[in-house]
Amino acid sequence: MVSGIGAGVSSIASQVVGPSTSAKPSATTSSFADVFKSAVSSVDSAQNSADQQVMDLLQGKSGANIGQVSVSVEKADVAFQLMMQVRNKVVSAYQDIEKMQF
Amino acid sequence: MGLFTALDISASALAAERQRSEIASSNLANVDTTRSSSGSGPYRRKEVVLQTAGTSFSSLLGASGSSGSSSAAVPVGGVELTRVVEDTSAAIRRYEPGHPDADKDGYVSYPSINPAQEMVDLMGSVRSYQLNATAVNASKQMIQQSIDLLKS
Amino acid sequence: MAIGSVQSQLESYLSLTMQRQTVLASNMANVDTPGYKTKDIDFQSEMARALAAPDGSTSEASPHAVTGLMERPDGNNVDIDRESVLMAETQLQYQLGTQLLKGNFHTLLAAINGGS
Repeated sequence: MVSGIGAGVSSIASQVVGPSTSAKPSATTSSFADVFKSAVSSVDSAQNSADQQVMDLLQGKSGANIGQVSVSVEKADVAFQLMMQVRNKVVSAYQDIEKMQF
Repeated sequence: MGLFTALDISASALAAERQRSEIASSNLANVDTTRSSSGSGPYRRKEVVLQTAGTSFSSLLGASGSSGSSSAAVPVGGVELTRVVEDTSAAIRRYEPGHPDADKDGYVSYPSINPAQEMVDLMGSVRSYQLNATAVNASKQMIQQSIDLLKS
Repeated sequence: MAIGSVQSQLESYLSLTMQRQTVLASNMANVDTPGYKTKDIDFQSEMARALAAPDGSTSEASPHAVTGLMERPDGNNVDIDRESVLMAETQLQYQLGTQLLKGNFHTLLAAINGGS
C-alpha cells in the first residue's frame, strides 16, 4: 500500500510540475523514501524556477512575460501544497498503523 | 518619499487648478464691469502664475522653518499658485455719452477681456483637474493594495 | 535561501515603483506650469543598482529630465498622454508586486502551519 502511494505521489507531482523538471524515478522496485525524495526535489526545483522567472520579470529582462510567470508561480504553489497534503496523509496513515494492535 | 507624498502633490494640483478656474470665471463674469471695487476704473483682467513648489522662496521657507504657520505646506514637486497679477493692458474705450461712468469726452472704459480666451483657460483647467483627480485615484489604489498585504 | 532573495527584490521593486508614481504625479501636477520639464526615473538601472547593493536596501532614485518631448511656447513639455499611460503602467506594476509578495508570504505560512 505504501509503495502504491509513493508511485501515485510522484506521478501527480510530475504531472503538475511538468515532465522536464521532475526527476523520473526508476520503476516499481524503488523504495518509498526514494520516490518521496524525488517528488520533494521536483517541487523544490519548481519553486526555484518560479523564483528565477519572477526575478527576471522584476528586472525587466526580455523573454519574461507576466502570463508565463504567473502560471509558473501558481504551479509551484500547487505542487507545494499537494506535497504538504500528501505528507499529512502519509503521517496519519503511519499513525493509524502504529495504533493497530495484534 | 512615499505614496502619501504623491497624494499631496496631486492634491496641490487640484487646489491650484480650482483657483485658476475661479479666476477665469471671475474674468468672464466681469466682462462688462465698468466700475471696479477699488473705484478707480474698470475691472482689470486677472492672471495666475503657477509655479512648481520647492523652487520659490516662500515655499522653501514654509517647508523648512515655521511649523505653526503653514500647516498646508505644498510638497516639493507639487504646484502652487504664487501670484495673481492684474493685466496692465489698456482698457477698451467705447463712445457712450449717456453712461453714468462716461468720462468728460463721453467715452466709457471697459475691461479688455477676450471671452474666448477665458473659455479656453477654463476648459484647460477643467481638463488638468480631471487628470490630477485620476492621479489621486491611482495613488489611492496603490496605497489600498499595500494595506491589503496586511490582511489575512 | 531562495524565498528570501525574491522577497528583498520584491521590496526594492515596490519601493522603486512607488518613487516612480511620485515623480509621475509631480509631472501631472505641473502640466500647466510654464517652464516645467518632465522628469522620470530610469527604472531598469535603479533596479539593477538595488540588486547589487550588498544589504539589499533601496536608496532613493534621482529623477532625470526626459528628452525628446515637444516643448510648448510657455516652456512646458509635459505630454499628458505619456504621463497617463505611464501612470496606468505603474499602478499595474505595483499591483503585480503586492500580489507576488502576498503569494510569497502565503507559501511561507503554509509551510509553517504544516498545511493543516
